[in-house]
Amino acid sequence: MTAPADDSDLLRLSSRGDRGAFERFMDRHLGAVHRFLLSLGADADDAEDALQESFVAAWRSAGDFRGAASARSWLFTIARNALRRQHRRRVGEPTALESLESLGGHAGWGSTAAFDGAFEAREELRWALRQLPAEEGEVVVLRDLEGFSGNETAEALGLSLAAVKSRLHRGRLRLMSLLREDEVSDA
Amino acid sequence: MPDLDRRIAGLRCRDVLEVLGDYVDGDLEEETVQRVEAHLRACDHCEKFGGEYGALVAGLRQALLADEPRPGLRDRMIRRMTAVWREEEA
Repeated sequence: MTAPADDSDLLRLSSRGDRGAFERFMDRHLGAVHRFLLSLGADADDAEDALQESFVAAWRSAGDFRGAASARSWLFTIARNALRRQHRRRVGEPTALESLESLGGHAGWGSTAAFDGAFEAREELRWALRQLPAEEGEVVVLRDLEGFSGNETAEALGLSLAAVKSRLHRGRLRLMSLLREDEVSDA
Repeated sequence: MPDLDRRIAGLRCRDVLEVLGDYVDGDLEEETVQRVEAHLRACDHCEKFGGEYGALVAGLRQALLADEPRPGLRDRMIRRMTAVWREEEA
């Protein structure tokens, strides 16, 4: 029995024309990349178009993967750029910087009302993620939903680790604020 | 809103808010962790908010991973790749 190939092996084999290896690579990451694209605000059709474009690009450039970065960081960079071409105004659009204190206040710091941090339905979370500024949403999705490390996220998005941490914290606070508002409006 | 400049265990509440993400992610140095935890034990507002923040982060990971992919997604992806491979052969 052979050990399962890692992503780097699969990409190396793909670059030599091994379609089976590329299918395995695709099966590993298809769902996560699709979720990532949807979370960045793409509708179902646009997300699927960007997904297809991403894997076609990954197949064609598999030989360019050098292994210094993680393969999934490399793939998510491709996916982000694919969506960016479709949604130039959404991804990477800078937003006015709200103070951390203000974000914390909206998120419930100092409030006596209880908030359990839970979301009743995944749809509610999906809605809240789509409301986040794209530069915060993509960091929250990679770090908290997909389990990327800080360094992997920084690689995938072309950011410094400090920028990843800052955007993650601000995104989480904004998410709390949105879910809290939603909870109140449902009450 | 309570006073963000209130100082407990050598940290103001606004300092705790600033490092809360790193605290939850385990990215703080041990000395700072101890100061944050001493502050949280003595500050109801930060303790409550920190708990809510931590619960949100813990819940996120499981939230969407169980999502079913769009029906037929993989099949359409394979058809697209097959078309690309045929083009390359042509």
